[in-house]
Amino acid sequence: MPGHRTKGFCASAAALALCAMLVGCTGSGESVGGGKVVLRYTWWGNPDRAERTEQALALFEKQHPDIQVQTSFSAYDAYKQKLATQAAGGDAPDVMQLDYRQIDQYASGGVLLDLGEQKAVLRTGEIDAGLLATGRLDGTQYAVPQGRGTETIAYDVEGWKATGVPLPDRSWTWSEWADTMRTLAERTGRPGATDPGQSEDCFEVWLRGRGKSLYTEDGGLGFTADDLTRWWTFTDELRREGVVSPAEQTTQLDGSVENTPLGRGESLTDANWDAPASGYLALIPGGIALAPMPSGEDGTPGQYFKPSMFLGVGADTGHPEEAARLVDFLVNDEQAAKILGATRGIPVNDSVRKEIEPRLTDFDGTIAAYQASLEGTLGTPPQAPPSGDNALQTTFQRDYDQVSYERMSPREAAENYVTEAKAELRS
Amino acid sequence: MTTTLIPAGAKTAVPPKRRRERQGPAWVFLSPWVLGAIVLTLLPMAVSLYLSFTDYDLFNPPRWVGLRNYVQMFTEDPRYWRSVTTTLTYVVIAVPLQLALALVVALALKSMKRGKAFYRSAFYAPSLLGASMSIALVWRAIFNDGGTVDNLFGTGGWVNRPGWALIAVALLTVWQFGAPMVIFLAGLQQIPAELYEAAAVDGAGKWRQFLSVTVPMLSPVLFFNLVLQTIQAFQVFTPAFAIGAGKGGPADSTLVYTLYLYDRGFVASHMGYASAMAWVLLIVIGAVTAVLFRTSRSWVFYTSEGDR
Repeated sequence: MPGHRTKGFCASAAALALCAMLVGCTGSGESVGGGKVVLRYTWWGNPDRAERTEQALALFEKQHPDIQVQTSFSAYDAYKQKLATQAAGGDAPDVMQLDYRQIDQYASGGVLLDLGEQKAVLRTGEIDAGLLATGRLDGTQYAVPQGRGTETIAYDVEGWKATGVPLPDRSWTWSEWADTMRTLAERTGRPGATDPGQSEDCFEVWLRGRGKSLYTEDGGLGFTADDLTRWWTFTDELRREGVVSPAEQTTQLDGSVENTPLGRGESLTDANWDAPASGYLALIPGGIALAPMPSGEDGTPGQYFKPSMFLGVGADTGHPEEAARLVDFLVNDEQAAKILGATRGIPVNDSVRKEIEPRLTDFDGTIAAYQASLEGTLGTPPQAPPSGDNALQTTFQRDYDQVSYERMSPREAAENYVTEAKAELRS
Repeated sequence: MTTTLIPAGAKTAVPPKRRRERQGPAWVFLSPWVLGAIVLTLLPMAVSLYLSFTDYDLFNPPRWVGLRNYVQMFTEDPRYWRSVTTTLTYVVIAVPLQLALALVVALALKSMKRGKAFYRSAFYAPSLLGASMSIALVWRAIFNDGGTVDNLFGTGGWVNRPGWALIAVALLTVWQFGAPMVIFLAGLQQIPAELYEAAAVDGAGKWRQFLSVTVPMLSPVLFFNLVLQTIQAFQVFTPAFAIGAGKGGPADSTLVYTLYLYDRGFVASHMGYASAMAWVLLIVIGAVTAVLFRTSRSWVFYTSEGDR
């Protein structure tokens, strides 16, 4: 039956060709010509961070001539979605930057490599034990914190001085903050701050200032609709008075500093994490300074030191050792730290930090000094948020949109949010 | 039926047994398409149908939940219904506007003596560009506050106002009327000139000619465009994604169906729910198309029917 053989041959040839095509697409960290190992490293950030990252990686490639690093980055929102899709498709990058919010989901979903297996090349001895533990789930080290960050009120120094209002003090309560913003708004005719009502992070600081927390220890919701109603009533009144940004400006926030009212020159201050605040430098000629977040009315601090971001290695990487080497370089190498500065937060490696801190210049120095000024005054960090939080961050913004566009009362929106949050945390 | 695979000349020369063996090469040449259809279309569809009955967060294995996703969608999710009304509003605004504009421009082009090719290309260009993210972003900039529209008319930014943002999205679609326009133009050129001459002899004016000759003769093409554009409009994504800053904002006013589906799947990691949404969309589009076909019997006129 020669006819059959031909048919069978052709069919298997076609199947083979297809397989080859599919395999070609899925390979992660495959070797290219010259026997070089190619690592894919993805992260979120801004152009300032990109430039320094590229410089550091050039050094890494020089130290390891057999490794080539391909990077890609985007703004936080886009990054989050892209990484989730890649991870689901089994195409997670070799080395990935992760947020506190992602650790639980990614680790429990089997996307991340157990870094304990790579102890030989990845040193963790000089990282503060408490901080290191934030990258651990059920006793396994899935990610290594890369920097320490905290929230801040970043402000346009020259713009503020021009108003004649005294510069912010070491500490202020939420009502003192509101009064100051009101005065700024009166003197400039523009809102003083970004409407903090849309930010889950700001809400958390406010909530902690009242002795509560976003989540309970077993991953449930740590606050009630009443708490959220109170917060949104507070911010909604400020918005109506023109003290914080109007809905039309607030809705444009996407996680990049360029689209904040401060970055667009529409207000004088913005609440943000301290590391990304360096992005304002390029936008605000008068310079940027950092003030602490407001505390609760009785002085209870809501702010805390948080691992600003983590590095994890894909569980399916073809080159776990090389990937771990890159993580080690980014976290522990002194030269790398000198180049990276504080773009991802203050370094977590103790000796690197001690070595680096006095040399930090420009804005990195500002961040270091800011963090040093807060040392010992902040509350303990909460545990890593449960998986559902990833979606809730967006829900929080959307529900507040309904308030700021005056389509719902703070109470209605708050009840909506709490209902959805409970469903999200249950599933 | 089987003869369709055999070259016409070989029809009678090949005995039945040999004929079967000849199918081998045909399947080999078809295999890229067949494999593509199975691997890239049928398999994913089957998986998506399965996922729609599960709870799947991308990271952990899917968990069977039966009809829960569908029940939740219809009874417990106000945002789902908001996305449905937003999409319907969008379809009702964008499709008729787009087709009307396409027809008007096609009529103008038909009667044009010179430069027809240039204008045809010029009007078609937006359809080629329009689906791209970059144009959508430009559009966003134009309708943003401080953007062109704001400066010219002092209306404030449209994309930041819940009442106007969806209109900005619809206008972006309307602007891409090139594809239906080209089809209308082809249809118009098929209408025999004698009909117009006969109508003119009978004393019909331009408007009468349009109503009594152009519209009936063009109705199959109009129907075709209507069906196609409606199906497309139900699936609008890119302009809404760009103009609503990826979140369907402001205040959910541009939260169209596919955008909410994307949000459930890729932002909230509820792939099962998103799959269920996709299947409902498929069924709804099928139903709407069926209704259009049914109504078409009363208003679409095929010339061949006259021969019967």
